[in-house]
Amino acid sequence: MSRNRELISKIGLRLDGRRPDELRRIRCKMGVFSQPDGSAYIEQGLTKVLAAVYGPHQVRSRQKAQHDACIINTQFSMAVFSTNERKKRPRGDRKSTEMSMHLQQALLSVIETDLYPWSQIDVYVEVLHADGGIYPACVNAATLAVIDAGIPIKEYVCACTASLGNNEVPMLDVSHQEEILGGPTLTVAALPMSGKIVLMEMSQRFHLDHLPKVLNKALEGCKDVKAILDEAVKNHVSEIGSATGWANTTS
Amino acid sequence: MSLSQAEKTFILHGVAENFRVDGRDREGYRPMELETDIVQHAFGSARLRLANTDVLVAVKIEVDTPLPEKPFEGKIEFFVDCSANATPDFEGRGGESLAVELANILSSAYESPLTFDLRKLCILKGKKCWKLYVDVLILECGGNLFDAVSLAVKAALHITQVPKIKAVNIDGDNVEIEVSDNIIDCDRLNVENLPVLVTVCKIGNHCIVDPSLTEEQCAVGSVVVAVSKECFSTITSIGTGSLHEETLFECLDLGHKVAIKLNQTLMAILVQIQPNQDVGFLK
Amino acid sequence: MFTTKCFIKKNKIGNFLKHVREHYIRDDISCGIPSCDDCNAEASSHLNEVHLNKCSLFKFEHFIILDTNVILDQMDVLEEPIICNVIILHTVYKEVKHRSLPIYKRLNAVLENPSRHFYIFVNDHHKDTFLPEDKNELINDHNDRCIRKATSWYMGHVPKRHFVLITDDAKNRQLALADNIPTCTITDYVKHLENNSILQDKLSRKDFHSEKEAKDIFPPHLSTAALLKGIKEGVLHQGTFRASKDNFLEGFVSVDGFTEPVLLQGRDGLNRSVDGDIVAVEVFKMENWVSPSEIVLEDEGVSEESIEDVEQKEQALKNTTVQEAEIKPTGRVVGIIRRKWKQYCGIIQGNSEGLYQIFVPANRSIPKVRIETRQAEFLKTQKLIVTIDSWPRSSRYPHGHFVRALGRIGSQDTENEVVLLEHDVPHSQFSEEVLSCLPKLPWIITEEDEKRRVDLRSIDICSVDPPGCTDIDDALHCRLIEEGKLEVGVHIADVSHFIRPGTAIDLEAASRATTVYLVGTRIDMVPGLLSSNLCSLRGGEDRFAFSCIWEMDLQANILSTRFHKSIIKSKSAMTYEEAQLTIDDQTKTDAIAESLRNLNKLAKILKKRRLENGALVLASTEVKILMDSETMEPLDVELKKMYQTNSMVEEFMLLANISVAQKILQEFPDCAMLRRHPTPPASNFDPLVKAGRHLGFDIQVDCGRNLADSLDRAVKPENPYLNTMLRMLATRCMLQAVYFPSGTLQKEDFYHYGLAVPLYTHFTSPIRRYADIIVHRLLAVICGSDSTYPDLLDKQKSSELCQNLNYRNRMAQYAGRASVAFNTHLFFKGKLNDEEGYILYVRKNALQILIPKYGLECTLYLVKKNETTLFEYDEEHQTQRAGDVVFHTFDPVTIRLQLDSSNIQHEKFSVLLVQPAIPGFSVPALSKDDEQVNDAEPVKKGKKRKNIAAKSPKKSKS
Repeated sequence: MSRNRELISKIGLRLDGRRPDELRRIRCKMGVFSQPDGSAYIEQGLTKVLAAVYGPHQVRSRQKAQHDACIINTQFSMAVFSTNERKKRPRGDRKSTEMSMHLQQALLSVIETDLYPWSQIDVYVEVLHADGGIYPACVNAATLAVIDAGIPIKEYVCACTASLGNNEVPMLDVSHQEEILGGPTLTVAALPMSGKIVLMEMSQRFHLDHLPKVLNKALEGCKDVKAILDEAVKNHVSEIGSATGWANTTS
Repeated sequence: MSLSQAEKTFILHGVAENFRVDGRDREGYRPMELETDIVQHAFGSARLRLANTDVLVAVKIEVDTPLPEKPFEGKIEFFVDCSANATPDFEGRGGESLAVELANILSSAYESPLTFDLRKLCILKGKKCWKLYVDVLILECGGNLFDAVSLAVKAALHITQVPKIKAVNIDGDNVEIEVSDNIIDCDRLNVENLPVLVTVCKIGNHCIVDPSLTEEQCAVGSVVVAVSKECFSTITSIGTGSLHEETLFECLDLGHKVAIKLNQTLMAILVQIQPNQDVGFLK
Repeated sequence: MFTTKCFIKKNKIGNFLKHVREHYIRDDISCGIPSCDDCNAEASSHLNEVHLNKCSLFKFEHFIILDTNVILDQMDVLEEPIICNVIILHTVYKEVKHRSLPIYKRLNAVLENPSRHFYIFVNDHHKDTFLPEDKNELINDHNDRCIRKATSWYMGHVPKRHFVLITDDAKNRQLALADNIPTCTITDYVKHLENNSILQDKLSRKDFHSEKEAKDIFPPHLSTAALLKGIKEGVLHQGTFRASKDNFLEGFVSVDGFTEPVLLQGRDGLNRSVDGDIVAVEVFKMENWVSPSEIVLEDEGVSEESIEDVEQKEQALKNTTVQEAEIKPTGRVVGIIRRKWKQYCGIIQGNSEGLYQIFVPANRSIPKVRIETRQAEFLKTQKLIVTIDSWPRSSRYPHGHFVRALGRIGSQDTENEVVLLEHDVPHSQFSEEVLSCLPKLPWIITEEDEKRRVDLRSIDICSVDPPGCTDIDDALHCRLIEEGKLEVGVHIADVSHFIRPGTAIDLEAASRATTVYLVGTRIDMVPGLLSSNLCSLRGGEDRFAFSCIWEMDLQANILSTRFHKSIIKSKSAMTYEEAQLTIDDQTKTDAIAESLRNLNKLAKILKKRRLENGALVLASTEVKILMDSETMEPLDVELKKMYQTNSMVEEFMLLANISVAQKILQEFPDCAMLRRHPTPPASNFDPLVKAGRHLGFDIQVDCGRNLADSLDRAVKPENPYLNTMLRMLATRCMLQAVYFPSGTLQKEDFYHYGLAVPLYTHFTSPIRRYADIIVHRLLAVICGSDSTYPDLLDKQKSSELCQNLNYRNRMAQYAGRASVAFNTHLFFKGKLNDEEGYILYVRKNALQILIPKYGLECTLYLVKKNETTLFEYDEEHQTQRAGDVVFHTFDPVTIRLQLDSSNIQHEKFSVLLVQPAIPGFSVPALSKDDEQVNDAEPVKKGKKRKNIAAKSPKKSKS
């Protein structure tokens, strides 16, 4: 157990100046690339993630095809220079495979797969800079990319991390430095509008007494993230739409 | 992607008439955008967009021991990763052959001491030197990867800040290096002579540079030349197909000419460039 | 609102990584000034409109903003209550934390105190005061710029108020004046305050001004870079400096890797090192090595100026003959790597007048210190605390400043204070925060409480404790439930109910770790409301308890055990004597008397069983000092009387501790807090074996059982005290018992040697021991009465806690002994007596004498330094011989005892031999006339006597 350095100072500010329940700055853009069917870029604090979606298209391997739903194929890869210490391999190690699976799990819960039997949707996520909260950034980027590709989804899936500072105050959206110095981290992917949890993951040890309040914090964070993503989507749509003239019909 | 016969013929004719599909002449390049210092925690980085091709390069520095037979020199290592964002074919290990090819060509282009002087990277003779890791990430593939990569690499190396060494303490076998904490206090590398790669394709009877994806498919044979300061640093033929001797020399000439122009333009831009972190992919 | 900071740091492998960090800029940070309308003044700002800073340098009343160096150097001044309404900038706060952790902690303490009116302003996250770093700017310059910017901002933000920047940096002041910021140095500021004499004394003198061109007395120190280089190259060596207590011109440096410490002599050799500093030494060539001198040299310096006497003494040192056999590596100090200056207790040397005084520390290895004070007359009567600031080359003594006064020299309170300070015992008043954690009176038992506890108020429970005890931890009961079955209950005060984990009171108790007992006073671990009232199992009152109930048969075999929280009502709180009388008085047949008798019977069986298993019965000189309740002076020193009931209570406490230990280990194999007593190594027992052999006994030390048996057998019917002395010697051979979490050691290591049990813990005294509170919490979780919390189950945290508990316990023991020693001295002041005693140890140059009447140990020196000796020392047989007289261990002697107060800080006993008479050494016996001068009769009729028991040198084995 690492020494508990004060992650929340006496004045109630964290190491980077945020209050415990504030998210990092999120900026995002959809439609970054032209070749993929849908693409998005998201920056959460210093974590930068690019997502690209291809599909729905024909399955590449006949065996995997399903007659009543489309399969979602995800790949998670981190650029070699994304971490502070240079990584040797961008993907193929266990962590990447696990992340891909988690991503797939999150997306499967929202994408309307029964609309596309015998097809495949590819979602590729590339991490350019990893500074804590990698999985949430990937999920958020993937959601945006899927929306950009025009694939129908039930609702947004957003993710957020939360942790405990000073052993009792729940903190939202932990950066890498706080992860290392502090205690356990809880990652939650949820459907904010309906309040359901898609995926929950935790590192280190958490005391059962503290779990509910940290979980609540994380869910609130997901709601906030959804609001930001929603705003971005609306902006993007009205931009694109105004180019082709159908923005006028909606206003 | 596969082209039909008709499309190929169309392209062929266009090239013959010096008027390609998108309106360029044979020696014309598509518009390029260059940004530097995108990846803030790398010592140097650059992103180049050449129409649809998108390449991101980051340079990281580590302390290493020099090779025993070259005690005065540092090291440089290239690594290329084709992201699956570019095409689904690059998923998993799909893009590996392309990546390896790129990395090898870059290594051979930088091998000569006239292009890149590794001696500048030496810290302590025989004991410590800098090792540069140049990592290339291919984000989108729109043809002409080699050019884009080489330009991006050159830009990234130009902007790289090598930490300035303040003190070296030698204690028997243990060497301890102290550098200045402030990143602004740094050394820069001289990138004048770094090679610029140009891809020359032979389509029909003529050679073109900067082929787009479709044009690459029609090429009879392609050659990649690396030119540094009026000299060739490496020549490789890529793809399938064969070239006649004279054609080869034609290609080389063309490549040479184009490369020098390209280099000049790039250097001019690099001098003016201001790192602007707030844009990046968000523009 | 968002920027990033970049910097390079080296990682573990030696690679350099560029780190990028986010830095958010906010607009919701309040300035803290109460009258400011723009910022919603947070409740946490302690700045006060009412308090006025009056400094004659500035015509307006103002708020103070401090620079980092002022905080680092002048913390003592800042702790004075006169300085208030101070704004600490976050930049400055972070830098203080980075540079000095102890000062940072003290700053935090001041910040938390609302009456000091300090406030932290987060200037590096505030949108108006954030300044990005300029290229080519040094960090220090950048910080100074931030400080100035923040001050200017404040001036613009609240125009009605004034702000003063205090900094010792001349350049900073210059630039501040250019910005129209009022500024001054701390020295100037203090000089112009009202009532500033104490403050001026407390100013730390970093830059000293020598009044005249002073000659350099000491050689210079090398720079840090040169020192490090020298050490890397092997030319210089790093080590810790230890001064010699007898010779102020000599010292040693112990270097890692050297078998012997390096000797240093003279001013050149010592070169301004202070005991404890980490220094760099240069070792001379072998031909220049010398031997440590045998002479005693004292620093008799009266004033700063002349060093003639020093030079003379150095000459004397050089002239001492070099003894070949004793040559040690010699060298000199060339530089100081790290100073380890602490706060030192001591007094002012009386004979000089004026501003500068010489302070003599109590610790003889610390040199005298020159301090500046305006209250010299007052301070001469007091014991002081002084800290050293600097030691310039031209000054004979280091310069320091006065921190605070402890009290009159020689008064008991002062002595207690000194003892507590020297043993690092936290003894300040409980803070507001701690007191706010106490329950509000009147305290009643609610229905909720009754539901969650077993109601045992009907049972006849009683407690047995020393007389005058107010913190009653434990109570017992025993009753017959069936034919042949007894129910025995031990009820312990339920402290963990009142002290919740993580609260201020919990942290304070964890820090104190134990109640410290000094003669005449007691430093409580928990505030009195709990220790003497709500937790204490007083007679006739309903109290919460944690009960351990056994069902036993009449042979004291445990049939079942259960633990639960309960409510009890003790029928009677008795003393040991009263309980003993009740048991003995056959006419008493009430429930309490019966229960006591049963308990006594069972206790005897339990004890017998324990001794058969090999538990040790050791002895110590437990004395009781009788104090005169009015003058608080010791009246008499006498040995404690032990009754059967002492043993009865002890047995059941032991049994409870063992039962609880088993239970918590079972449920928490990883983090149960247990207590172990390591087996001493065989070599520890050598003095005991030798002494025993001399008396004709063979003491077996291979295992506890054999030791116990052989001690039992070692009895001489004509002198029963010999057996007690052997047991005392055995006690000295033991190691300390310590606390540890169960997950950190193997099962075999859990063994408690003294009690001969495989498993032990402390459960029965939560009012005065913190370990017991932890054990209570663990047990409460097992009983379902309480929930866990993360730190309880964390092995690492438990381990750290145990370390603190062990340290504090040790210090408390030493403090108790020191207090008894002082009071014993006080008792003997002015008295001259002949006493009978026994030789406890035979040493090379002295005899250690034990006086059973007072339980006092003193040293009879046989050899004085530089004198020829009459005695021959035989190491193998441990004897000293002079002529016909041979001294062995345990021989009886008569000695004359007197208190030698020539050195007021180091009083000691002067011992002279009376019997057996040795011509040329011993003194004749006192006649009756001499004895009458000093009346040893302690009992003065009519004066009330207060009995304060002091636990003296007993190695606690339980």
